[in-house]
Amino acid sequence: MLLKVENLQAEIDEKQILNGLNIEVKPGEVHAIMGPNGAGKSTLANVLSGRDEYEVTAGTIEFNGEDLLELDAEERARKGIFLAFQYPVEIPGVSNKLFMQTALNAVREERGLPALDMFDFDEFAKDKIDLLDMRADLLERSVNVGFSGGEKKRNDIFQMALLEPKLCILDETDSGLDIDALRVVANGVNALRSPDRSFIVVTHYQRLLDYIKPDHVHVLYNGQIVKSGGFELVHELEEHGYDDIIQQHHKD
Amino acid sequence: MQRKISPVAKQAVAHYIAQSELLNEQCNSAALQQVRTQAQALLTEQGFPTQRDENWQYTRLTGFVQNHFDIKPALPVTSEQIRQFMPDFPVIMVVFVDGWFNEGLSDDLESLPNGVIYESFRDAADIVGESSKLYDREKEINKEPFGVLNSLLMADGFYLQLANNASLELPFFVLHIQTRGNQMSNVRNRIELGENAELTLVERYVSLVETFEGENLSACTNVVTEIELAKYARFKQVVMQEQNDNAFYFNNQFIEQADNSSFNTFYGALGSQLSRHQNHIFMNGEHIESQQNSACLAKDNQTVDSRTDTQHNDVWGNSQQLHKYVLTDSAVGVFNGMIRVDQKAQKTDGQMDNKNLLLSDVAKMDTKPQLEIYADDVKCSHGSASGQIDKNQIFYLQARGIRRAEAVKMITHAFLLEPAELITNDKVRHWVTDRLSAGLARIHQ
Repeated sequence: MLLKVENLQAEIDEKQILNGLNIEVKPGEVHAIMGPNGAGKSTLANVLSGRDEYEVTAGTIEFNGEDLLELDAEERARKGIFLAFQYPVEIPGVSNKLFMQTALNAVREERGLPALDMFDFDEFAKDKIDLLDMRADLLERSVNVGFSGGEKKRNDIFQMALLEPKLCILDETDSGLDIDALRVVANGVNALRSPDRSFIVVTHYQRLLDYIKPDHVHVLYNGQIVKSGGFELVHELEEHGYDDIIQQHHKD
Repeated sequence: MQRKISPVAKQAVAHYIAQSELLNEQCNSAALQQVRTQAQALLTEQGFPTQRDENWQYTRLTGFVQNHFDIKPALPVTSEQIRQFMPDFPVIMVVFVDGWFNEGLSDDLESLPNGVIYESFRDAADIVGESSKLYDREKEINKEPFGVLNSLLMADGFYLQLANNASLELPFFVLHIQTRGNQMSNVRNRIELGENAELTLVERYVSLVETFEGENLSACTNVVTEIELAKYARFKQVVMQEQNDNAFYFNNQFIEQADNSSFNTFYGALGSQLSRHQNHIFMNGEHIESQQNSACLAKDNQTVDSRTDTQHNDVWGNSQQLHKYVLTDSAVGVFNGMIRVDQKAQKTDGQMDNKNLLLSDVAKMDTKPQLEIYADDVKCSHGSASGQIDKNQIFYLQARGIRRAEAVKMITHAFLLEPAELITNDKVRHWVTDRLSAGLARIHQ
């Protein structure tokens, strides 16, 4: 098991958001987490990646058999957890290249690999740039500054390709993307799928999932997973919305 | 109105007047003696500013007034000792030790290119005598308290003149080095650029040692520089203030610009317990450009103050400013910027931006950007923002495996270096960013 979440409860600003959530992810699996607004989707993504504004009040998270809750955000990233942000952050003055070289070397240090200098990095990055169909000059610019919405998301997926994580968490990566940008992002994700890399795709809409085709789909509501199934659940939701599932959940 | 002056301040005033008298006794120039005597009267009347003075509310002179700095001869310094302060790019170097021009350590200034004249202020004061323009701006200078002090103790500095169309290929590098405690390095400079002349000036203020011998003595540097730019003259300047943490630093620059001239200055503040750098710009012609940028870093109990007064007095002027502060520990930062647009100065474009990063809960920033506009067809703006590092930025870097401390470093570094990135000379820019990076490395220890 790559990830094992049991009875996870978490709050932010003293407001409880996750209410006993369970999920298990095996290597190579792609899980989609869907749900209405306010269900706790982004909270789950942030808690998994270690954002310290969120407080875990109960439950456990095991990653590769290790207690994840003991680790800071940077430690989790070094161990192979990657969060693609709903809103990638702008960092004026820090070049995308320096940022990614520093990040890559941090992850390589964890893996016992030697640091890459500027030239090795350029070489290493080139293939990934092609994969994401990125404009090469985005690497020279400040992190996400002046990037379009699509470029920011693409930049995040590019980072994912560089860091080669074990678990990729996509937090509403599809929000605000037009159909072309969505396709590029989805293609990037599909290209990175491998037997030893897992994905948790958090989304409000089914359209990204049509491209990615997850193995498992979970419906999150009120901080719990109320229904799980295969890819067919996506279309069930598309037809009937969340209401049926929520009403069924309340009956149970 | 006679001001009330505290007993401590009175002692300081008496001390500096006695120092001024000593200088006058050894002086042959009646004009210079007169300038000092005028300043003596002003200082006696005004004393030193206190917190009650609006312009000194956050820049406390209590520590300064308790010191009685002397004007003593420079201590001997070897070229070996100053090597560490030289830049890593070719320059024409001038060295001042404890406020005095040191000919032996400076490059040969007799054989400058045609149209370029350098004189030490001491010599200039003797040569030009009564008829000179040397003291034309006294009234303006004496509006500033440390201008008064500078006039009072005026003894050395430099006079640099570039004739029409003259230029120096290499930057002119002026190193000011403090070697002895309790010394006042009082420096008066005058720079004149003729029509279409071009100059790059790099100034660096340092202390030879981290603490002066014997006790925890401090030293003070007080500079006044007049800069006159004729039509189409282009002047670029970098001032790096890196004195030791006990030092005091005051600098008042008066810049007068004629049509189509351009003035571009960068101030980097890293050192001194109390520092205050002021530009007074008079844009007295058409199509004048001015750029004033600064990067100020303060830690412990340092106070770093930077001020600009930009006067647009004619049409089509363009002034741009970016001032950034990084404050940590109990440091205090002060910024005060004024853009004044005369009724006549239509089509003025004046932009002033001040951004401050506070790395501790007790560091304090006081900022006051101001606009006074009397013309109706202008484009002016000012902005100021102070805050801590954005949590989202730190988390973004952490989520990519970068440790928190490293993330803070990267973001702070990028923040502080932005004004320095505007320096157009590649070699000078690299040198400045290296200096700032070294300063940042010290606060992150």
